[in-house]
Amino acid sequence: MHSILIKLPALSLVLFLLAGCAPKHSIILVSDPDGHIGKAEVATPAGTQLLEKQGDMTQVSGPSKAPSPVTIADQNFIAVTFADAMAVEPLPPEKFILFFETGKTALAAQSQGTIATIVAVIKQRKAIKIAISGHTDSAGSAQLNDKLAQERAEMVKDLLIRNGINPDLMTVSSHGKGNPLVPTPDCVAEPRNRRVEVIVR
Amino acid sequence: MRVWICGMFFMFFAFSSTAALAADTIGHIQTIKGTATVIRGNLTLQATTGTALNSGDLIRTGKPGAVGIVMTDDTTISLGPNSEFSLQEYAFNPKEGKFSLVARITKGTFVYLSGLIAKLAPNAVQLIIPDATIAVRGTKLLVEVQQ
Repeated sequence: MHSILIKLPALSLVLFLLAGCAPKHSIILVSDPDGHIGKAEVATPAGTQLLEKQGDMTQVSGPSKAPSPVTIADQNFIAVTFADAMAVEPLPPEKFILFFETGKTALAAQSQGTIATIVAVIKQRKAIKIAISGHTDSAGSAQLNDKLAQERAEMVKDLLIRNGINPDLMTVSSHGKGNPLVPTPDCVAEPRNRRVEVIVR
Repeated sequence: MRVWICGMFFMFFAFSSTAALAADTIGHIQTIKGTATVIRGNLTLQATTGTALNSGDLIRTGKPGAVGIVMTDDTTISLGPNSEFSLQEYAFNPKEGKFSLVARITKGTFVYLSGLIAKLAPNAVQLIIPDATIAVRGTKLLVEVQQ
């Protein structure tokens, strides 16, 4: 009887300590390489927390609790926890924009030197993927625009192949008007949107 | 006076089939250290630089292991060792205005850097961890999921 009285508090202390060791998930918001900061909202069934400043962190420890109040993540915690993931972060891709003579697949004068630059960068980076996308503005016939954008993208791919780049590395797609360089309302002519983008990864 | 038709007709062109061939590929492995595997249905692939990824793939890093992944919209996802996540849903189709990125992280360390999907469709990115969901509106997020 005497021994049970001693064991009960000890047992509840152990359970209390074990409860504190439940898995905890951490979510930290940081700025991108350009220094911009976005937002993230973390939600459990019991509540939400909004991350909106550099280093904002919340932790989740179970569905029955709201995410913890936002604190600023310790730099050391970040460095130690995320070192390996950060060490393999891919380099930002290099993006090139090509413009064309109106209504044709011929490169505009200002873009004629760009192909050589793209080829040099592909070789220098030992690039493994090259994404070529055709883009239109939001004016005119969508299907005519898309057809021309696709033709132009295919033409750029051919130019790169002729310069010795492996076609297997390249994908060609048309983004239509859905990914403008210069956002405009619908049905607005904007020559800067009528382009081919080459993204080298 | 010309009448501009703005996207009122959507026609399927044969030439778009070149895009269809690569339609399953939603990203690729750009960097790798140690070992990592890609599980796709019954298939288990050893990950290497350039391994293409499909929607639904489960990516698991070894110990040691770390991978850097680039999606077709330039979202980058980097994993540390002993980590696992799956690409539950992914759509990047600006022509049709279809954007979506839902990743489910089951364990480990994860660095997410937003790409065009987050820019063009700020509500389209969601990360799911055990017990919580994260609605991401840009830019860079560090996530640790303990077991």
